[in-house]
Amino acid sequence: MALTDEVRRRLPESIAARLSYPKLSDFERPNVITTTADLVFNWARSHSVFPFQYGLACCAIEMLSSGFARFDIARYGMEVFRPTPRQCDLMIVAGTVNERMAPVLHRLYEQMAEPKWVISMGACATSGGPFYDGYNVVNGVDKVVPVDVYIPGCPPRPEALFDGMLQLQRKIQQLTFAPPEHVEQLDAADAPWRASAIGQRARFGGRVSRKRLTP
Amino acid sequence: MDELFAPTVPDEAMALALDRVRRGAETGDVSELDGLALDQVILNMGPQHPATHGVLRLVVTLDGEVVRDVIPVVGYLHRCKEKLAEKRTYYQYIPIVDRTEYMAGMNCEWTYVLAVEELAGIEVPRRAEFIRVIMAELNRIASHHVAVGTFTADLSPLGTAMAFYTFRDREKILDLLEEAAGARMMFNYFRFGGVRFDLPPGWEQRCRELMAEVPKWTDEYRALVEDNAVFLSRTIDKGVISQQDVVDYAITGPNARASGVPHDLRRTRPYSVYPELDFELCLADHGDVFDRYKVRVDEMLQSARIVQQCLDMMPRGPVQEGSLRAPYVITPPPGSAYIAQENPRGEYGIYIVSDGSRYPYRLKYRDPCFINLQLLPKLMRGNKIADAVAIGGSIDLVLGGIDR
Amino acid sequence: MSLQVGDIEIGLAEFAARLEERFAGELTDVALQPPVTVVARLAREKLAEVARRLHDLDETPLDCLNLISSVDNVGSLECVYHLYSFPANLYLELHVEVPRGTPVVDTVSDVWPAADWHEREAWDMMGIRFRGHPDLRRILLKDDWIGHPLRKDYVDDVRNHPYV
Repeated sequence: MALTDEVRRRLPESIAARLSYPKLSDFERPNVITTTADLVFNWARSHSVFPFQYGLACCAIEMLSSGFARFDIARYGMEVFRPTPRQCDLMIVAGTVNERMAPVLHRLYEQMAEPKWVISMGACATSGGPFYDGYNVVNGVDKVVPVDVYIPGCPPRPEALFDGMLQLQRKIQQLTFAPPEHVEQLDAADAPWRASAIGQRARFGGRVSRKRLTP
Repeated sequence: MDELFAPTVPDEAMALALDRVRRGAETGDVSELDGLALDQVILNMGPQHPATHGVLRLVVTLDGEVVRDVIPVVGYLHRCKEKLAEKRTYYQYIPIVDRTEYMAGMNCEWTYVLAVEELAGIEVPRRAEFIRVIMAELNRIASHHVAVGTFTADLSPLGTAMAFYTFRDREKILDLLEEAAGARMMFNYFRFGGVRFDLPPGWEQRCRELMAEVPKWTDEYRALVEDNAVFLSRTIDKGVISQQDVVDYAITGPNARASGVPHDLRRTRPYSVYPELDFELCLADHGDVFDRYKVRVDEMLQSARIVQQCLDMMPRGPVQEGSLRAPYVITPPPGSAYIAQENPRGEYGIYIVSDGSRYPYRLKYRDPCFINLQLLPKLMRGNKIADAVAIGGSIDLVLGGIDR
Repeated sequence: MSLQVGDIEIGLAEFAARLEERFAGELTDVALQPPVTVVARLAREKLAEVARRLHDLDETPLDCLNLISSVDNVGSLECVYHLYSFPANLYLELHVEVPRGTPVVDTVSDVWPAADWHEREAWDMMGIRFRGHPDLRRILLKDDWIGHPLRKDYVDDVRNHPYV
């Protein structure tokens, strides 16, 4: 339970004096409490990402291969491929998205719970790939959902997929509890779809700040 | 946001399933239990499903746990390949044919390249023929690894244990293919008049060593599942494809051979150097799920045998027809040709019509999975839903080919 | 009795002669495409009847329908039926010309059940209607797609693309 001033008033004097766990007001400015909380939560989030088993086409086989013995994805903590979006953090769109599949993709994305990320794996998901001029092909999954990491390749080797996942881990580690107005904004321009597609971000634990844009 | 919470309007496939249920109710074909009329449930195994091997959607009408009707809905991966053929030159189209049956890229490329060579009258040097056979057979083994692994994964999530073994061995084959062709899956290795690269030094020795291990692999796979009473009870006498079905529905490949029909295009319509090679057709008697699995494992052994023979018989020489070393533009004379080959899934054919220009006029695929999928509703009917999933897995579908 | 492939030994030329003799008026332009194919033309009015007779032919019935291709020759459309005979192990390629104005042809799904999805695809991609087909609807494209993409004069409609 949060230790608000009201609660403090109702506690006995002796106990209130000794209580020292963080108050909500401690989260107003970035400080050692927010950075420690960031560290712990981001470590947990980035090292146990649950990918969504969303293989569409040929890249799905490379995604499968990366889950098996030689290219072990479990060493990154991501071996828990869940078939239902409700239990997943990360949607790896592996394959071509076409006009028939796009509404399904959108719907599955909406079913995922925040915080969620999308990796667009392969040339088809990035920009249409070798089928870019097909009448039925959507040129890139970022026309349907916001994408965090793009992995080029046709198909990308499992090592390339891991490179993308490590990039995503670094990106997840940028998350902070501190409110955005107190965090130095290096890059204020978000893609316009981000605001409406993701919707209201919860105040607790979910803002992406750009304060450390390190590779 | 409102549309997310709107009541679901059934789309065409679901509406069709609903319609059939209603018509069944009118004609008295309803489910009953002790005199009580029961509702049939229409279950949508949507395009995203762990057991449908890709983006196949099955609208299943269930009577309790028993499947009454299945409507497969395809097209979630339709990538306009036949139209793209008209916009790409013959040479530019080779990588796209790869991606039709992406598990067996070498076989698909070979079919396309053969079709164009037939139209244009191009000869292939002998060494290249042997290399083509080796690559195709290695790819056949790799494809059967995935088929067997994902099929046991369909039976139960614990079945992915078998998939670990098959994928581990598949990686060894993909290493070899990567050394020769440059890529693990989409090879772009075949050219009109031969293949792109000769085999690297030491490759033949490594390949021989690997093919000597194939019997050990197949023994391991058999030992993992064939003594398991649950596996046997779930696969024997389920999903039987009769020989009449094979003829009526044009089923080919391991699915047909598991029913005892000796239809293998390497024997019935031989191409390349297959007449000189000695291998057996893997047949089985009953045509059930177990037989299809067994035929695939047997075929791995036969493919290893073919590769060893080719390595012994392969002469030295050029690997591509000399005048075509840089055939960026090839213009076959007007005409049409239908060439079919034995893909790991069946008869993979390409019907190509040329009008003498640098782009194909019409390219039509005869895809084995598209045709095998037509039989799926008939096989699934009457089985419990869990067995229906296993039957679907045993047919070995690749959506890239179904949807093209 | 297990089904055998090619148990009737018959050469390609002999097979073609047999077909020409049995279907004298109907199969025109019979040609050989070695090694295993006979090519012939058929008028679309005769398709239903000839299909049934080909399927029930004695000794070498064409019991398997391999593929139905649809081609857009600019003057007219064309349906190509690739048939296969298990006993003879030989192929027959039937070209049926379909006029552009009324692209309607009889279905053969009552003769060869495998024709079902091929005809749906021909309808979807080329716009050829099959009279008598039990369930002719689009198979690969969305249900509300406008146009038939594999026609040479296909123009993509913007309403097909909600996700540009």
